[in-house]
Parts: sequence; structure tokens; C-alpha cells
Amino acid sequence: MSNLSSFNPEQWVQKYSDALYAYTVVRVNDSGLAEDLVQETFSSAWKSRASYKAEASEKNWLYAICKNKIIDHYRKNANNIVRPAEINTSENYFNEEEHWKKEAAPSDWGIDYNLPIETKEFYLILELCKNKLQEMQQSVFVMKFMEGLESDEICKALNITPSNYWVLIHRAKLQLRSCLEKNWINPT
Amino acid sequence: MISCKEATFLISKKEENKLSFVEKIKLKMHLLICSFCRLFEKQSKLISMNASKSHQHYTAVLSDSSKENIIQNLKDVSD
Repeated sequence: MSNLSSFNPEQWVQKYSDALYAYTVVRVNDSGLAEDLVQETFSSAWKSRASYKAEASEKNWLYAICKNKIIDHYRKNANNIVRPAEINTSENYFNEEEHWKKEAAPSDWGIDYNLPIETKEFYLILELCKNKLQEMQQSVFVMKFMEGLESDEICKALNITPSNYWVLIHRAKLQLRSCLEKNWINPT
Repeated sequence: MISCKEATFLISKKEENKLSFVEKIKLKMHLLICSFCRLFEKQSKLISMNASKSHQHYTAVLSDSSKENIIQNLKDVSD
């Protein structure tokens, strides 16, 4: 196991930087920013290496630091997002009676929905679909489904109310589902 | 009977176990008769379950010069 004397900048960066970068770039959707966050992750880890306890693996420890950097980015960014007047996107999906419009209703994807998805294509398309979401929807989506935070932590970090949160999640899910169906299941 | 718009809203809350008793009943009744919302529930859950694994299927690498920068930065801190 690693101990303090094994902390070597070259080895560290060679061993972990690509993985941390891939982890970060799909979460912040900006390669320059991802690079900065990885750099900050290493420098925070480096400065606090004295307090590193070997009970967490070195890798998990670095991921935990990186995760905090990403959440911190979204927290700071929340203040800068120009929040557009709530556009009611639900009429894209529902008619006046609030039932599914014929063209927007879900169709069966013909897969086992409970099995983990292993095809690269799914993740690539999910990424593209996620990047088309409004900024606040993206923030809650990443924090909830990629970082696994609790909704009350997310509300606090982004300074939104629980009802804002549910509306954002609902719209993000409607849009992602529809985007995946169009581009992953039925590409033209 | 609740609408599909409301049902899909409740489905997101259900995934986080945040439904009240009454909401649970309302959603259950709706799902009994609405196959579209049943599909929505499965597909929504699939997105929730898999989203966190994106990076494992994504090949992104840092350039050598970026790595060099990071290393240099760490060395500067330790000097």
C-alpha cells in the first residue's frame, strides 16, 4: 500500500490524470475547465497529502477530491446562470388535457430496462442529449444522477427551492428520454 | 385521475422516495391504465441508473503537455 514516501508527482499524474480527466469532462462538458479542475484536484491532494489515510485507496481519495471540485464548480456557477423566464417545454410532450401527444409518447425500446447498459453509443448520445439541456437542468442532472447527491444538498448548493428542483428534474427527464429515443433507438 | 404530465412528475419524485401516501395511490392508479407512463417510468429509471457510468465509456486523454504542466505545478508547490 502507498505511504507518504510513495507520493511522487510524475507517477501520480501518469497513473490517474487521464481517468480523472475523463470523469470530469463528461460532468462539466468543457475540456479546458475539466483540465483546470484536474489540475486543482492534484494540487489540493498534494497539499493535503499529510492527512491522507491509507484506509481509502489513493484512487478513491483523488476521486473524492475531484468530485468536490466539480460540485464546487456547479455551486459557484449557479450564481452566474442567467435563469431564463421558465419556458414551459411541457407542451412539446403533452396536449391540452396534459396527456401524451401522439408524436411524443414513449415507445417501447425493446431492451431489458433493468440491465446495465454497456454500449458506448448510448453514453455518447446521452452526453449529447445532456449538453442540449438548459444550464440549470444540466446542473441538477449532473449533481443528482452523476454525482449522486441528495436533493436537499443540491437545492442548497444551487440555491433553489425543492419545487424548483422537481420541475428541473422532471423537464430534464422528459427531454433526455425523448432525445435518447430519437437518436439512440430510432436514428434516422 | 391525474394527467400524464402529473404522473411523469410524480415518477421522478418516486425514484427518490419522495411521494406522499396520496401521491403514491394517484400514481399507482394512473400507471394501471397508462402504458405510455409505464414505459416512461422504466426509461427514466434506466437513465438514472446508468448516467453515472458515462466516463467509463468515454475515452478522453490529457495531452502530454497538460500532464507536464500539472507535474511542474506540483513540484513548484513542494519546493
